[in-house]
Amino acid sequence: MIRQFALPIWGSKMTEFITAVLTSLSSGAIYALMALAIVLVWRSTRVINFAQAGQAVLTTYIGYTVIQRTGSYWLALVVAVISGAIIGAIIDRFFMRPIFKRVKSGPIVMIAPVVATLGLLGIIQAIIGFIWGLTNQSIEAPVSTGGYKVMGKVIAFSSYNLLVLVAVAIAMLLLTILFQRTNIGLALRASAYSPEIARLSGIKVDAVRTLGWAIAGASGGLAGMLYIPGYFLYPNAMDLLLVFGFVAAVIGGLESLFGAVAGAMILGFAINFSTTYISQKLFFPTAFIVLVLVLLIKPSGLFAAKKSRGA
Amino acid sequence: MSKQVSTKKRTLLFVAFGWVLLLLGDRVGDLELYQGSFVATYALAITSIILLTGYSGQLSLGQSALMAVGAYAGALTIFNAGLHPIIGLFMAALVAGVFGLILGLIAARLSGPYLAGTTLALAISLPTLANQFPILGAEEGIVFDVGLPPARFGEDFSQYKWFFWISALATLVMVWFIANLLSTKYGRTFRALRDNPIAAELSGINVGRLKVTAFAISSGVAGLSGGLLVMLISGVSPSAFPLSLSFALLGGAVVTGLYNLKGVILGGLVLVAIPEIADSLVSRIGGSEGFITILPGFLVSALLILAVVFTPNGPGHLIKRHHKK
Amino acid sequence: MIRNKKMKRASLVSAVIATGAMVLSTLPAQAATPGVTASEIKLGISSPLTGSAGLSYGKVPGAMKAYFSYINANGGVYGRKINLISRDDKYLPTLAATQTTNLVLKDKVFALVGALGTATHSKAYKAAALAKNNVPDLFINTGFSGFTDKTKYPTTFMVLPTYAMEAKVIAKAIKDNFPGQATFLVAQDDEFGSDGVAGFKTAGHTFSAAPILYPQGSMTAARAEAALTALGATPGKPVVVLFGTTDVTATILKAAEKLALTTKFTWYAGSVGADANTLLALGVKPATIDGVISASFMPDAKDLTDPYVKQFADINAKYNKGITFDNYVLAAMNSAMLTVQALRAAGKNLTRAGVISAIENKGAKFASAGLVPLGYSPTSRIGYNGYWVSQLNAKGEGKPYGGKLVIYSTDSGAGLVEVSKFVRPTMPKNGIPTNS
Repeated sequence: MIRQFALPIWGSKMTEFITAVLTSLSSGAIYALMALAIVLVWRSTRVINFAQAGQAVLTTYIGYTVIQRTGSYWLALVVAVISGAIIGAIIDRFFMRPIFKRVKSGPIVMIAPVVATLGLLGIIQAIIGFIWGLTNQSIEAPVSTGGYKVMGKVIAFSSYNLLVLVAVAIAMLLLTILFQRTNIGLALRASAYSPEIARLSGIKVDAVRTLGWAIAGASGGLAGMLYIPGYFLYPNAMDLLLVFGFVAAVIGGLESLFGAVAGAMILGFAINFSTTYISQKLFFPTAFIVLVLVLLIKPSGLFAAKKSRGA
Repeated sequence: MSKQVSTKKRTLLFVAFGWVLLLLGDRVGDLELYQGSFVATYALAITSIILLTGYSGQLSLGQSALMAVGAYAGALTIFNAGLHPIIGLFMAALVAGVFGLILGLIAARLSGPYLAGTTLALAISLPTLANQFPILGAEEGIVFDVGLPPARFGEDFSQYKWFFWISALATLVMVWFIANLLSTKYGRTFRALRDNPIAAELSGINVGRLKVTAFAISSGVAGLSGGLLVMLISGVSPSAFPLSLSFALLGGAVVTGLYNLKGVILGGLVLVAIPEIADSLVSRIGGSEGFITILPGFLVSALLILAVVFTPNGPGHLIKRHHKK
Repeated sequence: MIRNKKMKRASLVSAVIATGAMVLSTLPAQAATPGVTASEIKLGISSPLTGSAGLSYGKVPGAMKAYFSYINANGGVYGRKINLISRDDKYLPTLAATQTTNLVLKDKVFALVGALGTATHSKAYKAAALAKNNVPDLFINTGFSGFTDKTKYPTTFMVLPTYAMEAKVIAKAIKDNFPGQATFLVAQDDEFGSDGVAGFKTAGHTFSAAPILYPQGSMTAARAEAALTALGATPGKPVVVLFGTTDVTATILKAAEKLALTTKFTWYAGSVGADANTLLALGVKPATIDGVISASFMPDAKDLTDPYVKQFADINAKYNKGITFDNYVLAAMNSAMLTVQALRAAGKNLTRAGVISAIENKGAKFASAGLVPLGYSPTSRIGYNGYWVSQLNAKGEGKPYGGKLVIYSTDSGAGLVEVSKFVRPTMPKNGIPTNS
């Protein structure tokens, strides 16, 4: 695909800059995939779900099996998203609900789910090993992964990168509409923010929370099927992505889906620019530095609503 | 639980326990002593988590990073500066404590998941930073050598026993210190902070200062445990403190009770014993190579979840509920 | 007061031990050697079975066990069956230390084989007091040259050539075949990568730019694309040397595919990151792999015309069911074969000191699949000390570069890279050593 730009002949400095921008966009999109799922769980249930990394990989393995049988990526994507929803619902119903029944107040409210979801992560990765074995696999992308040609040069941006960006944007829009404009969304937010009051106004808080986990699981299924083709498939494939997704979500404020995507973009740009222009060794420390800088300015993240909403 | 144990009684208890450990140490083999050293070290690390999270309500996913800071400080002190190992361990605690103080100043403004995210980012960054400065020995790391046991203890006093004495003593002293701290007004203030920060603030407690103090002390304790850990593996390197260590310690703390120090030894025991038990169980069952590779990890995770689902506040609470019935 | 009690106790214990020793010394020496009985030899291995390192190396213990099972079915070692106890250390130094200590103190193995990783094994060696207990540490799975230091690691024998040796051989190959081209290095930012960097320096090779050192886990697709875009501006056909693990090689090659730069560069994949099977499984196109240059000291696992390869592949099919035979399995079985020869060479009266001196004196002549010589001697703990340059094709096979097999031999220091006239010993019949 050739597009014409009115740009001067590219020198190496220009190329470097443009490449940095493009890679930042693709990295940011990928972090956004995970950040969205994390914010979804947080907004609807006030839990940081570490098992997300395992759930997303599990659904991607399921998608991989579908591709093996049918050869269709898109069918696999649909199956992955649906199974993600089912698995998410199961986890909430059978693991998180008993925990919440027993834990009412104090720091343990925050921590017990963290530890539980970490345990879940281990179990899911073991299950993947049992069923599919501990091998490397790969999934072919549904669209071309070759870079676009611009003015005779191949740039670090492909149809596949574009697909991920578009998917993230659409997911963010759809989910925002769901949360802000529908009754279900209202119920989700109410159940998370103030379960007792929600219950009093007739909302079945437990069922709503399970729905929230289902939606987050579906989003994780999407994330996995979009991420893995650009990488490879093995049980721990999304562990690191979880960390960056979480950091991105926190930068963005944990409260808004737009914040998740924005935070992911900020993180993507920060990491790619610092590693391009300063040193590759700054890859991990940049995440920490950016996070600290943002939180020093705004302790609840960039796009969080005002403090009056409460913890 | 409002039973206030007096300082004198507590000191006696600790001394008695220490004496028991001493006698026990003579009767068990090197392997048990080595494992015991890890139990003590992990118990100390869990203590730092209980102080930070259970008492001052701050969730940190980065204790491994603070342990690493202490470990490197200790290693540098012993290896590069050539000072006595005891000073090394002391420096481990001190440097980590100062680091924790600075970190705490940042952290005090952050709540729940924000703090968790920050400490998580710290935990994954620290190994890279250790690789940057040649003085920190890159991937091979720096040797951490506490030396041989003193000659006066005789020929049969093995290196492992020496490790056990050092780690057990350090843990006992530190836990005693923290327990005392928590039984004073400080402890009550911490608990007030944890249970209701707004009310605490209103009743005049300087919440910010308290949180920073907790962070600093907890980091010092973590730093000491980091120094002990690398003593046991004779050297520090970036890969000795992975993120999974933070998670494992947190898990151990939750499983044995986040709200008081009584469970720390049990927590250390759990972290050492459960993987061992899973391993031997699996080798007894047998099965295909792939199966026996994955199964221990599965069992450990399953146990963790069961523990959290059924006793999220620690087994102590479960017993109390039972009694109340 | 306490110390007197301690001393009293200590002297009592010493007395008991002295008496015990006198009693024990009347029994045949065999009883005093841990891990050896009339019917069994216990060996131990601590390596990553799970986690990301486990994906590549998880096959090693199983492959060794398969070979040992084959030997056990054919008389064992002087009638003793070999029992390999495998423990998972997840590539973590703390776990490696405890697992190795477990192997020595709990499982009471005779010797360790195939220990894996530099940071892991250096800690495990000290923690398990291998030197003090004189536990043989055979054929370790790492190329870090520090392990050849006899004062630090008195019971250790390497088998892999060092990373420094590999760098020197690559440097020579580049000089011989691509004299005018720019050269670049992408290496993992740890002891593995820096060993390689040092090797290039010793060989006198200067790269056209500072090496790109990446912390483990940080070479994402985005970073690879950025790096290659920058390098792509270099005129001619630069040589890009990749000194990392296979997943990183795959990431970089896939980035090259995306940027249409696969033929822009001559690719040189270090042996640690050049397993063709894995590259293909990770989604690298066969056309991209075609032409990638690498170095190896073993025959390619796909070359069934090689008698060693055929024999090991057969053993794998019978004793290691369900596992695909690849270069990792080949290397593991090869080490197992060396181990059996070492045990045999130590004689029927098997002792730890005996096996160490057996390798020192006879090890260089052991039969193995390696196409380069073994460097064991009373003064050297180095295993294979050379490489041959290979080139991958679209089928993932590694064939000699330039069509003719040339074996290079060198050291980890300033020695020259020389063509070796080494002739590989014939394989013992059916792959069952009969040496003594």
